[in-house]
Amino acid sequence: MNEWNPLNRLPIDTNKLNFKLISRLVGLMLMAMAVVLVLPVGVSAWYGEGAVAGLAESLGLMAVMGALMFFVFGRKANYNLPERDSFWVTSVVWLVVPLAGVLPFMLTGTMDDMTDAAFESISGFTTTGASVVAFPELLPKGLLLWRSLTQWMGGLGLILMLIAMVEKLHDGGYRLYEAEFSGTVQKKLHPHISKSVSLMWRIYVGITLVLLIGLVACGNGVVESLCLSLSTISTGGFVTRSTGLTGFNAASMVMIVVFMFESGINVALVYLLVTAKGRRMWNDEEFRAYVMTFLVAVTICVAGFVAAGNAMGESIRYSLFHVASTLSTCGFYIESPAKWSMWVSVMTFLMILLGASAGSTGGGLKLKRVMILVKYVRNFFMKMLHPNAVFSVKMDKKKVPEEYINKIFGFVFLYFTFVLGGAFVLTLCGADIPNAVCMAATNISNLGPSPLINSLGANMNYEALSSVAKWTLMLLMLAGRLEIFAIVAVFMPAYWKKR
Amino acid sequence: MTRNASGTTTMNDVKALLRLLGTLMMAEGVAMLSCLIPALHFHDGTWLPMLLSGAFTLLLGFEMRYSFSDYKVIKDRRMSYLLVVMIWVVLSLFGVLPFMATGAVTDFTDAFFESMSGLTSTGATILSDIESMPSSILLWRSMSEWIGGFGIVLLVLAIVPSLGINKYSLYTAEASGADNTGKMTTGMGTTVRHTLTIYVALTAGFIIILMCAGMHFWDAVNMTFTNISSGGFAIYNDSIASLTHAQQYILAAEMLFSGVNFMMLYLMFTLDWKKIRHKWDQFRCYIIILAVVSAFVVVSLHYKMDFDWSDALRCGVVQTLSVVTTTGSVISDTTQWWVPLMFLFAIVPLTGGMAGSTTGGLKMMRVLILLRNVKCILRNRLHPKSVSPVRLNGSPLSNELITNVMVIFFVYVVVMFVGTLALIVSGINATESIGAMVGCLTSYGPGLGASGGFGSYAAFTEPAKWICSLAMLMGRLECMSVLMLFMPGFWRK
Repeated sequence: MNEWNPLNRLPIDTNKLNFKLISRLVGLMLMAMAVVLVLPVGVSAWYGEGAVAGLAESLGLMAVMGALMFFVFGRKANYNLPERDSFWVTSVVWLVVPLAGVLPFMLTGTMDDMTDAAFESISGFTTTGASVVAFPELLPKGLLLWRSLTQWMGGLGLILMLIAMVEKLHDGGYRLYEAEFSGTVQKKLHPHISKSVSLMWRIYVGITLVLLIGLVACGNGVVESLCLSLSTISTGGFVTRSTGLTGFNAASMVMIVVFMFESGINVALVYLLVTAKGRRMWNDEEFRAYVMTFLVAVTICVAGFVAAGNAMGESIRYSLFHVASTLSTCGFYIESPAKWSMWVSVMTFLMILLGASAGSTGGGLKLKRVMILVKYVRNFFMKMLHPNAVFSVKMDKKKVPEEYINKIFGFVFLYFTFVLGGAFVLTLCGADIPNAVCMAATNISNLGPSPLINSLGANMNYEALSSVAKWTLMLLMLAGRLEIFAIVAVFMPAYWKKR
Repeated sequence: MTRNASGTTTMNDVKALLRLLGTLMMAEGVAMLSCLIPALHFHDGTWLPMLLSGAFTLLLGFEMRYSFSDYKVIKDRRMSYLLVVMIWVVLSLFGVLPFMATGAVTDFTDAFFESMSGLTSTGATILSDIESMPSSILLWRSMSEWIGGFGIVLLVLAIVPSLGINKYSLYTAEASGADNTGKMTTGMGTTVRHTLTIYVALTAGFIIILMCAGMHFWDAVNMTFTNISSGGFAIYNDSIASLTHAQQYILAAEMLFSGVNFMMLYLMFTLDWKKIRHKWDQFRCYIIILAVVSAFVVVSLHYKMDFDWSDALRCGVVQTLSVVTTTGSVISDTTQWWVPLMFLFAIVPLTGGMAGSTTGGLKMMRVLILLRNVKCILRNRLHPKSVSPVRLNGSPLSNELITNVMVIFFVYVVVMFVGTLALIVSGINATESIGAMVGCLTSYGPGLGASGGFGSYAAFTEPAKWICSLAMLMGRLECMSVLMLFMPGFWRK
């Protein structure tokens, strides 16, 4: 079917996939990755590491592949992106980019198993932070930086990176945005999607720099500070030492806790803060809920730890860190107090499911969705009692459309199905039931390591898992990052069929 | 309209509520009295306490039924929801009497757990040595499941529609008599009569078949009562494991029937194939899930557990039926089975059997609607211009119905998670908490670990037992009406 598109002034055929554009966009992403790789190559060269050759090779490969796809296969592409194509772009980008991200791990010779390298890469780009590297301190510094950079790129979203780079996409950009963040309507910072997104990137870069400077000022090494700030702001959670964040000084810990908390907030709200309109943040219902959840969770954890017989100071310190790390789905860890409490486990599990705010870099179901559902269910009960009354769900004093609520319910159903399905496959691979459920839940929430999964050991390492288990977790991470719909869509006949 | 217009509406509603409860208590009393027969026949000395509890329940019910005989209509919606919950709570409270009076169970918590487990046809037990129980108590346990199984069908098909609250899809529209595609009969009276006829006929038929397969009459009655109601109490310590293979297969057939919608069964008996087609989707889904799960179980039993093919087939099929229909009869020590199988048995009961059957769980139809809705959302996202409503049995479903299903699903899952976490906090380990919560909420019964397999809930802490009792109640009533009582708006004028 041909239709007239007023934006591009070209008749387009919506039946065929716009392969040229898909190729062009993926090529662009690869080239962008090559540019980002310059930093690790530089660091590696500075420290005179042997990894520099491998990193440079990966850079070259990515640049060549990217250029080929961008300039040759994607030549004269029509910048029109109907719905189905936007799903295609999302899934292809999220498939190709993490796979290309494998190159530095393989070519430097750090990992020779494809599964492990893919696990590390996907875990990075999805900001999960589950790692197969038992001793990160032994990795070359360049590669350590690359790991954190993957998280940083994935943090705000690969698709957001694309939209910021390509201004010509117009409403196709908005569709892409929707395909990556299904269901959470983001506040627009600017009427033009591309401008709006590049504004978000500027905030993101700015905050990362602030944390970096802060961490360096606290007396940490430059590369380590850079790695940690990239992983913190993206709620990724890759660490630089096998002991997690144990052993960093108090000032750096305070900074990291504050920025973990910050990265669980909607980026659009952070913009308000940056532009000195911080008071308006409090008008946002989700933000208020986020703060309340944080406070309640910290209180319960502290109470649990103190009741179990730990010292007050230690309990407060650990609880603040743990709650900030879990609620924002960052996934950093430190040494826990000597006596664990069941209440902390319970709170942790709830937080894993809840996740951070919509529009933040964190994962999970997102507070906003849960709030809308809770409100809807409350209305449902009222309707059962008063069948003739009319109720509507309001967020920030605005009515939430029914259609949107239906999508959220569908999302929750899929989420739940994925957690149980994933956990089932993990039991097939030999995990016991609670560990399987927790592992599936933490990975689909892009949290990664969590003290709940006791089979991982002290340094939260996924290496011992079988490769089937690893691929399952990778699928879960991607599903969580792409908010499931974009992953499930691939398995729909409508995704492959013309109409 | 109430004939007696004096007094406030609320008082009249309370009286009407008590009247209906009285009627059901009379039925319960009669059931208890029928347990006198084995007590007298086997001379186990429990006839007096059994007689006393039966007579007390019967007479109190009689008193309530006839002193408020003028109050037939419940006007206040809130009272209707209260009634639905009260039926199970009050009957379980009276069901405690035989256990306590005969001294079979001395602890009230335990007795209430056992009674609630019976009347919700869950089949979770706190008795560790079942064979040492007096025969009257054994029959009472089986009987409570049998009336509980019928009770839920009665509730869905007759009571809720008559209260006028089924519109809000507490119990899915198709299950209730108000359904327009497969309407059984118009009146409540005939619905009840037909359902009861089918239920009794199935029970009697299976008792005879079991006896033909060499089972003693006493055992056949008990086993049929517990399996046709998808309950799962057994009269042996090892559930159904020591029965002959033929008997096990017959029990499996009972379970298979227990998962089918009662109206569908009625249509099957009347050979009304044209109308059956209207319910085909759900039935097909039921059969497919059964086939897929049992195939997986059979294969993994053979390859992972070294069962030979015939044993694997028998154990796999029977256990799968028991799990999918949320019956909870156990054919082999499942706690020793391969971990994924155990986990599967903790997931599959969530779907349950067909709506309008005696099974628990979310019900096949809801799962079907949930799946199709997701498909629909995606199709609309991929091709926004195409319009495709969610269909069931060929007819499009209203948005209201779909969101109702979604709400119940969401609430169910939240209750499951919160319940599991509550069990963990009450001192049960994580694996067992997951198992016990799924077992109780879906009315499947056995959990994982000590409460699974041939085990019992005896070792659970006091609060854990109460949490499980509440879960059984919530699961049986599909959460909404029970949660309603906890809403602040409910008790306000």
